[in-house]
Formats: sequence, C-alpha cells, structure tokens
Amino acid sequence: MEVEEIKKKIFEVLEKAKGKKKLKEKDVCRIVSEETGVDKEEVKRILRSIIDEGKLCYSYSGGASSVEIPSEEYLKEKGML
Amino acid sequence: MPKKYDTPLLNELEKGPWPSFVTEIKKAAAWNKMAADELGQLEKSYRTRLVYWKHGGIVGVRGYGGGIIGRYSELPDEFPEVAHFHTVRINQPTGWFYSTDALRMTCDIWDKYGSGLTNMHGSTGDMVLLGTRTESLEPIFAEFSSRGWDLGGSGSAMRTPSACIGQARCEWANIDSLDICNEMTQEFQDEMHRPAFPYKFKIKVSGCACDCVAAIARADCSIIGTWKGDIKIDQDAVKWYAKNGTDIQNWIVDMCPTKCMSYDGKELKIDNKNCNRCMHCISKMTKALKAGDEKGATICIGSKAPIVVGSLLSWVIVPFIKVEPPYDNLRALIRKMIEWWDEYAKPRERIGELIESKGMRSFLEYIGVPPVPQQIKEPRKDPFWFFHGDDIENIKKLEAEEKKTGKYKF
Repeated sequence: MEVEEIKKKIFEVLEKAKGKKKLKEKDVCRIVSEETGVDKEEVKRILRSIIDEGKLCYSYSGGASSVEIPSEEYLKEKGML
Repeated sequence: MPKKYDTPLLNELEKGPWPSFVTEIKKAAAWNKMAADELGQLEKSYRTRLVYWKHGGIVGVRGYGGGIIGRYSELPDEFPEVAHFHTVRINQPTGWFYSTDALRMTCDIWDKYGSGLTNMHGSTGDMVLLGTRTESLEPIFAEFSSRGWDLGGSGSAMRTPSACIGQARCEWANIDSLDICNEMTQEFQDEMHRPAFPYKFKIKVSGCACDCVAAIARADCSIIGTWKGDIKIDQDAVKWYAKNGTDIQNWIVDMCPTKCMSYDGKELKIDNKNCNRCMHCISKMTKALKAGDEKGATICIGSKAPIVVGSLLSWVIVPFIKVEPPYDNLRALIRKMIEWWDEYAKPRERIGELIESKGMRSFLEYIGVPPVPQQIKEPRKDPFWFFHGDDIENIKKLEAEEKKTGKYKF
C-alpha cells in the first residue's frame, strides 16, 4: 500500500472519530493496521511524519493525550495557515 | 500600559511575614499586560468563587505532544491578555543545577514572550513558565532549543525524570542519581515527547532512603540508593557526638524503626540483619556511621498522587540491584514494566493501580523478576502473595548463584 493511501486512511479514521472518541496514537495505529493490513510500526512512522508536518496534532485533556486534526483557527493562531 | 485592577481581596493575601504570590504577580503586572489581566481575573474568581480557566486542547509545538499545557480564559472579552495563558514546561537540568546565566537567559526569554511569571519548579521537576499565547510557542521553543534546552513531558507520556542532587553535593548518596536520571532522560526521549502511554509515567531517582525527591511517594518507578552489608561504625566519632550534646539513646537508638540498635553509653551496636536501611542513624551521625561498601538501588513501583483515584506509595519489587553505567539492566527493566502497563492498562490508569487490579504476580512474571521475600508493600510486613513451590526453588537458585559468583542479583 502506498504511503499516500495510508496517510489518507489515517485522516479518515480521525475524521470519523471526531467529536465522538478521542483516539490515542496507539488506537490510530491499531485501527489503520487492522483495516489496511499494514504493519503497526509502519503506520506509526507515517502518522508521526504527518504530526511533524503539523497536519495532525497531539491533543491533551485531563492528563490524557490523543491525536487530532487541528482546526483552521488553531493553524491560523500558529501562523501555519 | 498594563491595565490596573482594584484587588481588595487579593490584597489580604499580602499581609503577614511570608512572601506573597500576589505581591509577585503585582510586580510583574506593573509592566506585563498578561500578568495584569491574570491578577484581574483572579480577583474576580475570589469575588465570585468561580474559576475561569479551561485547560487542555491542541496546543503544542510542531512534532511534540508534551511540554505545553494549553490554558484559556473563559472570559476573553473581559480579560483579553489572558485569553491564552499556556504553560511551558522546560526539562530541568538534572539535580536542578543552574548557572546564574542560564536563569537570566530563561527569564529574558520569558519576559519577552510570556507573563514574566514562573514556577520553580513544578512538582514533576520541570521548570514551569506560566502564561503565553499560542503564536509565541514556536518562537519560545526555538529560543530554548537553540541554546540546548528542551521541553519536558506532559500528558500520557514519560514525564521528565528527576533526581536528587546526589553525589554532586551530598555525602549520603549511594548511587549516582544524577547520571542515572540523565541517562533515563536520554533513553526515553521519544516516550517523553510523543505521548503514547495509557497515562503518565514518572521516574525519580534518590541517592539514599532520605529520598529528597520523594520518589517513594510520587514516582511510578522509584530508584532509591541503598547498600548491602553492615553499616560501618566509627566508635571514636560516636563518643565525639555523645560528648558534644547528641542524645544517642533518644535521638538515634529509640528512633530506629526496626529497633536494631543498642547503646550502653560507651559503644553503639547495630544488628545489621534487622536494619532496613532507612538512613535515620546515618543522617544524624554522619561522621560516625557510613553505609556499607556494596552500593546499589532498590526499585519500587507504583506510587502516585490522588488524581483520578486515591494516592499510593511505591512497593518494593527489586530489593537490591547494581546500577552502574551503562545501566542496561535498568533500561531493560523499565521498558518491560512499561510494556506490561501499556498492554493492559485502561486510559488514565497508572501502573500502581493496574498492579492492584491485575495482581503483582502477573506483573512480576511479565517483567521477569522472581518473587522474593523482600517484595513487601510496607516495611516489616509480610510479602503480599502466596509463594508457589517453583518460587521457593527459584529463590534458592538465585541465592546459590549469588554465593557462587559473589555478585548480587536481586
């Protein structure tokens, strides 16, 4: 499976969970790996590369962290839009 | 110019002989707009008895999941300067040794981008810088990282390891707590900056049982310096203490938690096999008493503060382990602990809570540490499980190996 396709799948999973469930890095890797058959470590590597690009962010609530798609407002505040 | 607020309620907290946080915020508020609005919002909170802060959310620097804790005011129209009031955690130098230049540099950066208010230090150990805006986060990170500093941990991650001042400034340190802490910080960089755990995980290293970083009460993994063998007694120095006003019977012997000491007015005796290495006598008579020569650490697991469910103290899992560079045994042990916890824990469940629900046997079997009688929850208590026949055999094998090689395993 191409890297771009895996990236697309990661975004799909996070989009689907938006407002319903906060997904941790581990959850995203597990779901994408189960749905695509790609090794979890490979998914993790790709997920982290998207985070490094700033297109995904870690989020924090009550001491627990998750991965989320940043809002436009936040990207503007950060000067990334 | 910063806005000036009338603060009659906060002013009450400036009375009395002690330093006041209100006075400090006022000093910053004289020139910093964020500090001024922080003061205004706080006065309102005191007046209405309501808190107006929200915390969390997507706030951080690119690629990092820890080190920044988002904080927003619920009253951004009334107090616009604290609409964003994020916290920045900076990984402290091990043992909290700073040059005055480093502190000046930190303060200069914070005066430029933040509220001018800091906590020295947060309870995990990081240097905590209070209050800045989202757009300032990347510049702040660039300023610090270009000078060799890094963010600390936050969220469901490895939190910044911390250590006592150890051998750098303390005669009681049985292990090089500073080096161990530094090595663990380097080892777990990925886990600190990319939060992927069920919840927080803290490592604290104390050079001795005096436990100046309170590892036994605050760290998921506490590494506490100890020794094997007898306490070395200098009887002449004992006499010196007695002659110079130390009440050895009342202050030392009677305070020994295991009552393993005796004093006849001339000679101090210690029944070493009943000593639990609490450090009380050594810390009171440093010139007369010294720890044994075989130095190492006790590894404890599972303490935590009361957040989510009640507080826990650490349990001994490895009564004695040699800790010497490159600490491969320690790294491997901690990685195994984390692996087990990561596999079975629910979200926001600390390792100590998981051990309580899943059982110490399951934990020990996974990490490959044999059950031994010293693995107790509290000093002078029985071990907290039933031994199987295999366990007894394993202990015997271990003892035989130690005897044969002369090297302590556990």
